[in-house]
Amino acid sequence: MTDPQPKAGETILRLNDIRKVYGDHVALGGVSLDVKRGEVVAIIGPSGSGKSTLLRCVNQLEVPDSGTLEVLGSNIDFAGRVSSADLLALRRKVGMVFQSFNLFPHMNVLRNVSFPQERVLGRSREEADKVSRDLLERVGLANKMENFPQKCSGGQQQRVAIARALALEPQIMLFDEPTSALDPELGLEVLAVMRRLADQGMTMVVVTHEIHFAAEVADRLIVMADGAIIEEGVPSELLAAPKTARAKQFLSAITDR
Amino acid sequence: MELLTDWVEWLPRLLSGLWVSVQVTVLALVIGIPIGFVLAFMSSARNAIVRWLTIIVVEVGRGMPALVMLQMVYFGLPEAGVVLDSFAATVIALGLTTSAYTSEIIRAGLRAVPEGELEAADALGLKRGDIVRFILIPQGFRIALPTLMGFAILILQVSSLAFTLGLPELLSQAYSIGASTFEYLEVLTLAGILYLVITVPGGWLVENFEKRLSKHLA
Ligand SMILES: Nc1ncnc2c1ncn2[C@@H]1O[C@H](COP(=O)(O)OP(=O)(O)OP(=O)(O)O)[C@@H](O)[C@H]1O
Ligand SMILES: [Mg+2]
Repeated sequence: MTDPQPKAGETILRLNDIRKVYGDHVALGGVSLDVKRGEVVAIIGPSGSGKSTLLRCVNQLEVPDSGTLEVLGSNIDFAGRVSSADLLALRRKVGMVFQSFNLFPHMNVLRNVSFPQERVLGRSREEADKVSRDLLERVGLANKMENFPQKCSGGQQQRVAIARALALEPQIMLFDEPTSALDPELGLEVLAVMRRLADQGMTMVVVTHEIHFAAEVADRLIVMADGAIIEEGVPSELLAAPKTARAKQFLSAITDR
Repeated sequence: MELLTDWVEWLPRLLSGLWVSVQVTVLALVIGIPIGFVLAFMSSARNAIVRWLTIIVVEVGRGMPALVMLQMVYFGLPEAGVVLDSFAATVIALGLTTSAYTSEIIRAGLRAVPEGELEAADALGLKRGDIVRFILIPQGFRIALPTLMGFAILILQVSSLAFTLGLPELLSQAYSIGASTFEYLEVLTLAGILYLVITVPGGWLVENFEKRLSKHLA
């Protein structure tokens, strides 16, 4: 869906000792993570372990209390203030898909995908619509372009949300439980789109409860608990033989269901 | 039968009164709602002084009975050297009341825009101004619209208070007919019906709109 990525293998996202505290609750207790270009990283972990907070720190929906973030060569140190120009530059490189889709309900599907391109990339309406149509066709929504989001199924809405993010040509895509709000069947449509995106070389960080997806698509699996990464590794190996008791416990809890 | 012939005779005057009522109402809304919009934004300004001054102005405006507002503008302003005719005074007074009330209605609408949508807009890299202009205002306004329409109907009813300024609106016309014919009940009934002719379908419209909106946003 995007141009083939050159220079596969270089680190394009680096989180270093990211800390985030809410009141006296430590949501992230100094998390470090490197992601290479083209890599697909899946994050799993119990509720409240800080998975969403970690993703949200990457594109600054949440500002960490300390730590540094490096995205495609530009550095942000959270000890100081982040300028709004840096913020917008960062967000142009990083796309995000939410559990609750978050489409704009007053715009039809095509507008949802075209409008951000016009405002963020300065594309003309024609250019933007062309890109949008192309993307929407690829996610199987050619016949839904004029519909308003409320008239689309959850799976369709989530695919629109993915197209909307991709239209801005991000280099990294973040997914926060993209299928958790969906019936299993509709979730599959979304996972299929994500799988294709991964095959095309998109760098992805995916918070998910879909163990099969993580096992088959991810290059690396990360287990979080209590605001920390407690274990990481090749998905098949980690799933077969988790090293920590905490990870073992979590994995058996979700696979037993 | 006699009642009907009376009504037919009074109708032109009452209709001209109704026309004045509608005019002052529409003008008050046209002036008041944009000011309400500005106040809504100022009342959530980052600057604490701006925010608190706005909140005070809005609370005073909402707390002051419309009748007092009318009297102050019409009888009070001349003392400050500003003399207004009853029409202008009514428009200004009702406009002020409208701005205070609608600022709260609009503020509630803006606050009801789902947080997730605004976050998605942030995550897309949209600028703050674009988010306000293309997401927050259109969405918030849509949410506020049924309540604003309900308020517009209310203001038409409140405009009858302008009879105290001698504005020849519907109620004044009915009074003066009553004064010359002594058939107060009959003429006031007809005046009441004329208000209802506008307010009841207006109410239906609002209800219909609310239903469509809730379906749309569901
Ligand atoms: N805005 C906030 N204010 C206060 N506490 C917060 C806030 N956001 C998150 N938290 C807390 O931080 C912790 C981590 O939350 P986070 O949403 O990152 O967890 P998660 O791993 O994504 O969980 P889930 O699987 O339920 O989505 C939780 O204990 C949560 O209650
Ligand atoms: Mg979460």
